[in-house]
Amino acid sequence: MKDIFTDLYNKVLGFFKQTEKKNDESSKEVACNRLKFVLMQDRTNLTPELMDRMRKELIELLSKYVEMDKEALELGFEQEGSQMALMLSIPVLRAREEAEIEATLAEEDAKKAKEEADAEKDSEGEEDESNDSEAQSDNEADTEEVEAEIEITEEPQGQEEDSENNNSSGEENKSSSSSKKTKTAKK
Amino acid sequence: MTITAENVKEKDNKKGDIMSGRVIVITSGKGGVGKTTTNANIGTALAKAGKKVVMIDTDLGLRNLDLLLGLENRIVYTIVDVVEGRCKLRQALVKDKKNPNLCLLAAAQTRDKTAVTEEQLRDICEELKKDFDFILVDCPAGIEQGFQNAVAGASEAIVVTTPEMSAVRDADRIIGLLEAREEIKSYKLLLNRVRPNMIKSNDMMSVDDVVEILSAPLIGIIPEDTGIITSTNKGEPIVNDEKSLAGQAYRNVARRIIGEDVPFLNLEEDTGVLSKVKKFFAGLIGKEK
Ligand SMILES: Nc1ncnc2c1ncn2[C@@H]1O[C@H](COP(=O)(O)OP(=O)(O)OP(=O)(O)O)[C@@H](O)[C@H]1O
Ligand SMILES: [Mg+2]
Repeated sequence: MKDIFTDLYNKVLGFFKQTEKKNDESSKEVACNRLKFVLMQDRTNLTPELMDRMRKELIELLSKYVEMDKEALELGFEQEGSQMALMLSIPVLRAREEAEIEATLAEEDAKKAKEEADAEKDSEGEEDESNDSEAQSDNEADTEEVEAEIEITEEPQGQEEDSENNNSSGEENKSSSSSKKTKTAKK
Repeated sequence: MTITAENVKEKDNKKGDIMSGRVIVITSGKGGVGKTTTNANIGTALAKAGKKVVMIDTDLGLRNLDLLLGLENRIVYTIVDVVEGRCKLRQALVKDKKNPNLCLLAAAQTRDKTAVTEEQLRDICEELKKDFDFILVDCPAGIEQGFQNAVAGASEAIVVTTPEMSAVRDADRIIGLLEAREEIKSYKLLLNRVRPNMIKSNDMMSVDDVVEILSAPLIGIIPEDTGIITSTNKGEPIVNDEKSLAGQAYRNVARRIIGEDVPFLNLEEDTGVLSKVKKFFAGLIGKEK
């Protein structure tokens, strides 16, 4: 008697269990991730196009100082409580020589000065592609990852979680950069 | 940030025009998530707790609060009649059938959102503050003028959302707008239509997920409950049903508004079909789970 019930119990349970199938990523996780992403866009008014542009400009800017794995640069927003942070994660391939940096900067300064001079006559801002000294040495050296955090201070009243100054250089990571690291680094 | 009970002690300080009522707007962004249901239930629960409560339906053209309260046949004047001078504010307040502490200022069904201005709503709220402990404003969906009007006279807000992406996204938008309004001193989140068994199977965002994503303080968790529909059918808020879980959840919200520290119901307890089946068989087999 008891066995019949136990058997039935397991069968019915099995039936219901089937409907509760679990994939690698649950629909709730998908929802959370999609939502987080879209809310960051909503809150910052940054469309994917603008993010892409920001990304390009950052690469251009930062390339003057370090040689990095441009493909692996990650840019995104993360939320910590009520504080939003712009997270930038850059795998560094190689440090630039001091002279190299200075040369690039000098070149840029010269260009700027020239532009200013030109502007006095009549100006048309030309897009400059000043990273000729680029020479993309493909990565043989293991890369250091530079992580930067730029806080967007809009501070809605309430919980302040300051003092999360994560020193941007420091941490050494493999080139497989996943921005999740940044989060743990902060805590 | 917190909704406190500070200004509830109206009776002690009735020195003429001392304003004591708290104006709370109930809003959401997305439509159909339960603003009006929330309004009717919190209002009724507060009145049952002895507070003087008036509810203002600002959803012009789409009025519903009267239906949820079963007052649709008693409405003579609406908020538009008040602002257009056809009646006194007092005259337009409809008393609840059961609870004399509870009143409704109905929306006009035949007019659109432009029939009342922010200024007029602010004035009405100021006036009502003198006589009521709580003024609950039922806000229309959306972020347009209707929302702006509803928020105008309020200093607190309850943002209603469900654990669904679109509702949460819209709630985030509303929170942004509320934060931009200086007169709103605090806002809280009310999570409606929560389905514990879906959360359990990871098919619905949990309460924690939503709270984390919106990073807003929580004032209530209301389960999905068919009783809400049947109570609406009858024009009788579910808080009047002592046995209902949703009713209990709404009564708890009212107590929190008054300033009591009430723990949240544990909805995650086994209430799903599966667990019922489990329990049924467990009973037959004679062992607990
Ligand atoms: N917890 C719940 N369980 C089951 N049904 C619910 C629940 N909450 C609300 N509903 C149902 O959802 C529907 C919409 O509710 P309601 O009218 O309160 O939403 P609203 O936000 O005021 O809508 P609108 O934006 O149109 O004003 C109603 O049919 C109501 O019965
Ligand atoms: Mg409504």
